[in-house]
Amino acid sequence: MTTRAVLKDRIEALISSFEAGERVDPAVRDRLIDDLAAWQATRIPEYGRLQRRGAWPPALPTDVFRFRRIAAHPVEEDRRLFRSSGTTSAERSVHAYCDLGLYDFAARVAAQHMLFPDIDDMRLIVLAPHEEDALDSSLEYMLARFAEWFGTGCTWVWRAGKLDLGLLTEELRNAEASGEPVAVLGTSFAFVHAEDGLGDQRFELAPRSRVMQTGGYKGRSREVDREVLLRAISARYGVPSRWIINEFGATELSSQMYETTLREDIDGSVGPRRLWVPPWVRATPVDPDTLQPVEGEAVGILRIDDTANLDSVCCIQTSDLAKRIDDGIAVLGRAPGATPRGCSLAADQALGAL
Amino acid sequence: MTDDASVVRRRAGAVFRSGAALRAATIEERAQWLAQAATTLAHEVHGKRNELSEATALSVPMVEWAARTTLGTIIEDSMLALARQAQRGSHRMRSPISMLSVILAGNVFTASVRSVIVPLLFGVPVLVKASSTETLFPVMLRDALVQTDSRLGAAMDLVVFAGGDVQCEDALAEPAEAVSVYGSDETVAAIGARLGDTPLIAHGHGVSAAYCGPEALDDAHVGNTIADLSLDICAYDQRGCLSPQVVYVAETVRWSAADFARRLAQEGLGPMSETLPRGRLPLSVGASQAQWRGIAEVEGTLIAGDTYAISVRDTQPMRWSPGFRNVTIAPVPGLDEAATALGQIGSSLKCVGADFASISKLRARLMQSPAPRAYACAIGEMQTPPFDAPADGRPVWHGLLRPSTRATHR
Repeated sequence: MTTRAVLKDRIEALISSFEAGERVDPAVRDRLIDDLAAWQATRIPEYGRLQRRGAWPPALPTDVFRFRRIAAHPVEEDRRLFRSSGTTSAERSVHAYCDLGLYDFAARVAAQHMLFPDIDDMRLIVLAPHEEDALDSSLEYMLARFAEWFGTGCTWVWRAGKLDLGLLTEELRNAEASGEPVAVLGTSFAFVHAEDGLGDQRFELAPRSRVMQTGGYKGRSREVDREVLLRAISARYGVPSRWIINEFGATELSSQMYETTLREDIDGSVGPRRLWVPPWVRATPVDPDTLQPVEGEAVGILRIDDTANLDSVCCIQTSDLAKRIDDGIAVLGRAPGATPRGCSLAADQALGAL
Repeated sequence: MTDDASVVRRRAGAVFRSGAALRAATIEERAQWLAQAATTLAHEVHGKRNELSEATALSVPMVEWAARTTLGTIIEDSMLALARQAQRGSHRMRSPISMLSVILAGNVFTASVRSVIVPLLFGVPVLVKASSTETLFPVMLRDALVQTDSRLGAAMDLVVFAGGDVQCEDALAEPAEAVSVYGSDETVAAIGARLGDTPLIAHGHGVSAAYCGPEALDDAHVGNTIADLSLDICAYDQRGCLSPQVVYVAETVRWSAADFARRLAQEGLGPMSETLPRGRLPLSVGASQAQWRGIAEVEGTLIAGDTYAISVRDTQPMRWSPGFRNVTIAPVPGLDEAATALGQIGSSLKCVGADFASISKLRARLMQSPAPRAYACAIGEMQTPPFDAPADGRPVWHGLLRPSTRATHR
């Protein structure tokens, strides 16, 4: 067996044991992260150049995915390339996959646990493009898989580059009439477009309907405060706010994190709104100077060690600001970078670098 | 606390009306007042160093260094020499404009000094829009002017409002004969578009760089080179336009760029983090820093200390750092290649520091490059320009004087 195959087995075993309801020992995950990182450092020269600081393997900054191919496999074995949004190639991260098996497994188990814990399948309404219209988007890939795994039927209401308000209205009215719960899934900016376009229309979706929103705005709609959008969605669709949850994903990652409120409501527990971190993932706010974990609930920059990133790099340093809340994480948004960067930011833009 | 448009309009009117009394004083009187105000302000800074450190996010020693080196240039002789220089080469006496409004950025707190003192010297009253994140020092400057002479004090006032408040910006610009804007290129362009016929004195963002030739690295000079360069990098925590982002180093048989970088870390930036400590790192910058350092390590060599890092890498592609003592050392064969790299920065290049043996040649090369407006000076002096140093390639009085048929400037 190759080292890769052994590692893949270990990752699958970790996710499987969680799926089977077993407790996953964080020490097992941490050993796996160490071993994965060590193997990846030998396969990916860019990652191999990073020096270890402290107890954990080094984390590769997400920006490196914009400038270099980060993959443990040769380019001819690429099966799928996911790219982040952006208008120029230098702004877009690229994540190359030779095997989507682990991505699928991690995505399915996490979504089942946090988004569909109470139900095997249901009707889906997706405020995002169909996968075929956005082949390089990991989000659209994931939503298409959700349609296969969890959908009794699915309608994509983002068509030809914009939200089809007529179709969305029709789908929501049909859902109301059926009395069956639906899941409305989409990007935050698509929900804002819906808010702007639906006027006074209100919907009363059946109990157990849920909403999953994801991503930032990236200039594609006006920006709306998270709490304000949450209230607006709840009022618009008739879904309790605790059944409206945020999904956190990134092009550079293969696993997703979900807000806890829906799952807790189903379990009959109450806790602060926070992101659940899958047990095969380690999410840690770190100090920007030392890159070591911050203490307690201090704000740091979010490092994510995602074991499902088998064929790229497991240990990723993001630019997101985050803090721990109880057993989860609160992501406070992408660091703006602009305010105190002195004179360099405008020059970056002028010179087209970084 | 921010001011609304009515407050801005009232203060602008009062500043405008103060111009006659200011211009009635002789330039010698104004120079004397300003020098006195600078001395007063220097004392005040010492007393409020902790508050200024908090307000500016610079360390206390850095606040004191910045105030000392900036206010130390405000001396009567320099100001009078500048006034004479401004009238030289003109057939007619130049007279001051009626009023200047200034929009400051928040990255370098002492930037308000020259932008206020120079107009006042020439008899131009000034209304300053301070950065909403840093008002303490401009308030102290105004108080020092008031304390020195009532006419001087009346000729400068402050307003604070959020960037992009169009009504306030209009009120600020209305009575002004020119508007001076420090800020991002977007800010400058947005305000410029709304000014109509009122002249804009633009101070857009940019970057600076340094060059160390072979002589700077020889045994006799390398110690000074390291000390000077460290000061240029650490001053204002590399937040300003005059802070070097990249240092082009001419490699020699004895010295590679990486050797020099290691010595710069050990003998320069490391010790300076004790004598002039870095201020607190905003998390947003920290996030950019983590990305920049990681890329530096992937694409070259990273030498990191507790509060600084040096990226040793090729000249291209340049990865601009977030500042805060994160600098690039790029090896070059010699001055020609450094000049070529500097030229590629173009009009965004603000200042180039060079060693004593290279500065004349480099200055000549810059004049012929796409970056002719860059100000060239000795390394170690990048962050402490003299009072009469040009700004953005233009004389420091640019926009403050207009041709006059008679001498109002006594």
